[in-house]
Amino acid sequence: MAAHNTVATSNARKQVAAGGWLWGAVRRNGAGYLFLAPWLIGFFCLTLGPALVSLYLSFTNYDLLTTPEFVGMQNYVRMATADPKFIASIRVTLLYVALSVPLKLAFALAVAMVLNRGMRGLPFYRAIFYLPSLLGTSVAIAVLWRQLFAADGMVNSLLAQFGVEGPSWISNPNYSLYTLVVLSVWQFGSPMIIFLAGLRQIPVDMYEAASLDGASPARQFFRITLPLLSPVIFFNVVIQTIEAFKAFTPAFIISGGSGGPINSTLFYTLYLYQEAFSYFRMGYASALAWVLVVLIAVFTAFSFLTTKYWVHYDD
Amino acid sequence: MTDAVHEVPGRASTHPRLTGTVRHVLLIAISFVMIYPILWMLSGSLRPADELFGGDAGLMPSQVTLQAYSDGWFGLQVTFGRFFANSLIIAVLATVGNVLAASLVAFAFARLKFSGQKFWFALMLGTLMLPYHVTLIPQYVMFRSLGWVNTWWPLILPKYFAVDAFFIFLMVQFFRGIPRELDDAARMDGCSPWRIYRKIILPLSMPVLATAAIFSFIWTWEDFFGPLIYISEMSQYTVQLGLRSFIDSSGTSSWNELFAMSLLSLVPIFLIFLFFQRLLIEGIATTGMKR
Repeated sequence: MAAHNTVATSNARKQVAAGGWLWGAVRRNGAGYLFLAPWLIGFFCLTLGPALVSLYLSFTNYDLLTTPEFVGMQNYVRMATADPKFIASIRVTLLYVALSVPLKLAFALAVAMVLNRGMRGLPFYRAIFYLPSLLGTSVAIAVLWRQLFAADGMVNSLLAQFGVEGPSWISNPNYSLYTLVVLSVWQFGSPMIIFLAGLRQIPVDMYEAASLDGASPARQFFRITLPLLSPVIFFNVVIQTIEAFKAFTPAFIISGGSGGPINSTLFYTLYLYQEAFSYFRMGYASALAWVLVVLIAVFTAFSFLTTKYWVHYDD
Repeated sequence: MTDAVHEVPGRASTHPRLTGTVRHVLLIAISFVMIYPILWMLSGSLRPADELFGGDAGLMPSQVTLQAYSDGWFGLQVTFGRFFANSLIIAVLATVGNVLAASLVAFAFARLKFSGQKFWFALMLGTLMLPYHVTLIPQYVMFRSLGWVNTWWPLILPKYFAVDAFFIFLMVQFFRGIPRELDDAARMDGCSPWRIYRKIILPLSMPVLATAAIFSFIWTWEDFFGPLIYISEMSQYTVQLGLRSFIDSSGTSSWNELFAMSLLSLVPIFLIFLFFQRLLIEGIATTGMKR
């Protein structure tokens, strides 16, 4: 009897303890999770859930109307072996990334170095140079670019004054992509501002010491500026490359949504858009999206792996 | 002897002044080239329609007229006034959502303690790099089954669930800089987390809230992809979609109207730039905003 009682009380105590533990956990974590709730809902319903569904869809044929039909690796196999447009879009995108990112960053760094060290009028110049970045991806700027490089556009009428007859840049597959590269370089402002902030961190006395020791400006640039700025350069390279992979609007507007002429401006995202929303091949488009994720992940991982060879962290 | 010693500092003192002028000339030249296309667009929008497109890279129209603005405004079945109103409503609602949701979540990450905090924070940072294309199609399928295609819900509602992790990250960085003693003192006085968020953190965070609001507004205003896939009826169009239709419907015949409307679509951004330039530039410099 006594034994039974003690068991009962210890059970009750356990229950109270468990209830207390639960109550304590709610008290300790409740507020945190309440504030976190918007993001948690968004993360599961709008990010993680859809990402997993699109991974599944990438192994199916799906046209939005009938149920998805599982086809295994077929979409990926088709991409790799039987889709010239996919290959074209990869080629265009990689070329765009490889040209626009280094040019834009080199320009941004050069201008930042000219602007550096509190010269008069700095806020004015900085604002002017930054403006194109801000207007960047709007349709209006793409419209402007279309007309700048049109057969009878501004660039050609400038060239005509020097007696040069320019081609129709936009509708010539040999040049169309380069007009988009120029557009991207024109928007060098935001990486320039990041470079300016980075340059400001480099102590002035390092340059003073170096010039007293007779180091040339070039030598100072390669021995002081570049190494000390390398974390900022790294950051800009990663961010700008990811952005370049995702570029869409200018190519869409300039080519009228076609990626033409002859696929010369068929950015990867534009091809993905066409597959999904012009041909309603949702399964194939999902596979394209996952290939994009892998491309970006591989690039990012690769950049991080190379940091130990060229990025100088000041500890 | 002394001359030789003074040679290095002497050169250092004349050098900057000399290069100073060169620098200004160079910078003014670059500024001019950068801005020229926009000025050319402005000049184009003020030209009469019969002034032929080619042959003039100059900035001076032979005759200044606002005809292109009034013709362009009514150039489609739906006026640009409607597109501007639509864009404004969407951008304002999206901005409110972004700032509200991101500040709540950032408060949880920066100022509260709960189990699993580090895990969720790492996940949140992980979504920063994720291209939106990977959630695009299932989201479209979901919104379509809810009957929300051709409505503004898909463009607005996600912002109330803090899907743009960038803004959370931006605010966490700022909130962490606010002295913790303020929270502790308030907590001693029996303040709830909600009151701390509302009465201490938000009032002290106006700069970061403003920065987030400005970028959120500009990005939503300029967004083309979202409206392109979700909105098909012209009365629901945003300005960006209106411009796209304008290109398709007019071709190159009324380029001056196209320029006029394009320029108008940039006006809100110009205004924000004019008034909040410092916040924008500081926002980029401290966080490395993408554009």
